[in-house]
This record gives sequence, C-alpha cells and structure tokens, in this order.
Amino acid sequence: MSDDIRALSETLAADPSSVAFLQLGDELRRSGQVELAWRVATRGLERHAQRADAHDLVGRIAIDRGDPERARAEWESVLALSPDHGGARKGLGFLAFQRGDFDGAERHLSAALAADPLDRSLAAALDTVRASRSDRTPEAERQPTPALDARALFQDVLGDERQAAVLLDADGYLVAGRYLAADGRDLGADIGAQLSGVSEEADRAMRHLGLGQWHQIVFEAETASVAMAPSGSGVLLVAAPRTVPLGYVRRLLERSLDRARSWLGANA
Amino acid sequence: MSSPFTALLASLIRHRGVTGCMVVGASDGLIVDASLQTGVNGEAFAALSASLYRKAQRAARAAGFGEAGFFELDAERGHMCATGRNDLVLVVVSEPRLNVGLLRVEMLRALEAFA
Repeated sequence: MSDDIRALSETLAADPSSVAFLQLGDELRRSGQVELAWRVATRGLERHAQRADAHDLVGRIAIDRGDPERARAEWESVLALSPDHGGARKGLGFLAFQRGDFDGAERHLSAALAADPLDRSLAAALDTVRASRSDRTPEAERQPTPALDARALFQDVLGDERQAAVLLDADGYLVAGRYLAADGRDLGADIGAQLSGVSEEADRAMRHLGLGQWHQIVFEAETASVAMAPSGSGVLLVAAPRTVPLGYVRRLLERSLDRARSWLGANA
Repeated sequence: MSSPFTALLASLIRHRGVTGCMVVGASDGLIVDASLQTGVNGEAFAALSASLYRKAQRAARAAGFGEAGFFELDAERGHMCATGRNDLVLVVVSEPRLNVGLLRVEMLRALEAFA
C-alpha cells in the first residue's frame, strides 16, 4: 500500500463523511485496485450524491469494471449538476465514439475542449472523430462499423486472433484495438485499464533513475506475454499467449506502433 | 560479507553492459545483497524497480494473466530487468548495449537460488 493510500484511508476512517474518498478512490483505481476503488467511491457517493466529482469518479471506475452503461449514467448525472464538467464530457465523448455515435462524440468532446483548451489529447480525439465521420462512405454508412474500424485497427498486423493490441489514451481510455476473450467478449478496456498503471509507474521510476524516457516494457506472465510502449499521449499494449516467442511479441509491438502512428497521424 | 546470492550476483555483473545487480525485498524495496559498479544508486534502483515489478504483478493478476515472471524495461540510457520468487526480486540494471536474451536465461536460472 502506498503512503498516499494509507494516509487517505486513515483520514477517511477517522471521518467517514470526509471527501477524502475522492482522492482515495482515484489512487486505488490508478494502483489497479479497482474493486476496492469501487467500494470506496460508491460509499462516498451515497454520502455526497450532490457532488459532481463523486459521480465522475464512479463513472471512471465503472469504465475500468467494464460497465459503460453505469459510466454513462454517472456522467449524465455529473452534467446535470455541473454542465461544463470536462471529465464527464470527455468520458461521454469516448463512449459515444465507441458506439459509432460521431455527432454525440463531437458534441461532448468539443464541450470538453472548450472547458480545457490546452488538453492536446482532447484536440486529437476530436480530430479523430471528425476524420472518422468524413471518411465514412455511403456503403460504410449502411454498416454499423465505425467503432469496429477502430477496434480492428491492429487485426491484420497481429494476424492471429489470440494476439491482441489495444491503444489507450493518457487517462487509460480505450482508443482503438480489442482483446477478445474466449467467449467473444471484448476485454480491451478492462485489460488496458489494469495494465496502463504499469506505464505510469515506469514514468515515475524513470524520473528518479535518470534512464531517460522508457521505450518499451515487456513482461511474461503465466498465460500471456505483454509488451507496451508509449504511443501519442497514451500507451499501446500487445498481449500474446506464452507460446508466442518473446522476440516475436516485440515485433508485433513495433508493427502495431507503426500502425497506431499512421492512424493517429492520418486522423490528426 | 557473503550471502546465498553472492555467487549468482558475481556471475550476472560480468555480463557485458551490466552495471548493477541486486536481490531486493519485493514488499519493502530494500537491498538484500548487491553487486554494483561505482556510481549506480543501488538503493533508488532497488526501491523503484521492486515497486515497478510489484505493479506489473498486480496488473498481470488483475488482467487475468496470472503471476508475472520476467520483466524488462528499455529506456533511452539503459535497461532494467527483474524477476522474482518468494518475496525476493532479482534486479539487473544495464547500459543500452545488452544481450537481453542471454541475461533473461541466466536470471531465470538464478531464481532457483530463491527457492
């Protein structure tokens, strides 16, 4: 447990009505303790239902838990309380983009950018939405595929369905790619949220160790090998079964990075 | 001072490009034994690499990938490799020029000493 989490837990234990749950929930989420973050945030929301930032926190954790409907409901509650809330606009924009609702995505992301004009990730996301819409041909319009296009971005690079790549933005939101479970569910957002915390920890370590910017992280787990690298303002993750040689996983990462670069560049 | 890890650290430090290797407590980030070239801040590397390794382990478990084994980070000015067992992490720090494949094999073999 980090010192921050310990201190915030003590503050909240001493005064359960404190708003320390906001920071604690966010710290827990960032450290990958999503279920604990969920409990802290939803209990806090019960006490502070009129706080927009409490709904926003629950919305972000709902995304990490793979529950976009709950996230959408929470972010809509945020806007009812605080119509200019940039975080809620951004979250709703990404959700709209993922389901192919470009008008909704543009509306929310434009409002978020108006609230925070210096956020380059918002400007890039808005450009991506506009480019995706303008690229849509009449034939494509008959098929509900715009969101699928982003999800299938790495499909031909990876080849094998058991290999997966996901591109996340700086906040851990899924931008492109997918990770299909054996039952066909897309776990990309879930897995991305869990693993993106590793890149944050690497950033922190690099600042202290004087090794410069990190280029690549590779680690082997029991069932999968994972490779990740910074991409744009976010991170790209590639996962493959352990039977795939580690050197090949690195090459899949490099190819996927090239694909992400050209896709983000084309949409910039 | 000699520890059960002295011989394996002496072997790892001889790899081309390796500037430091340590056995570190996974939970506290403190050095158990180390072989470091002059100028390497062992305590900082131990604390931060153990923290990073723990983070990777938690993330791998949470993502449903099971326990994390070998971990490698490439940066502008070097590599950091780690692997662990039984609350101990074996950490190697190196310059950019490194045969990671060879080092990985030796580090995984060295884990036997952690049993």
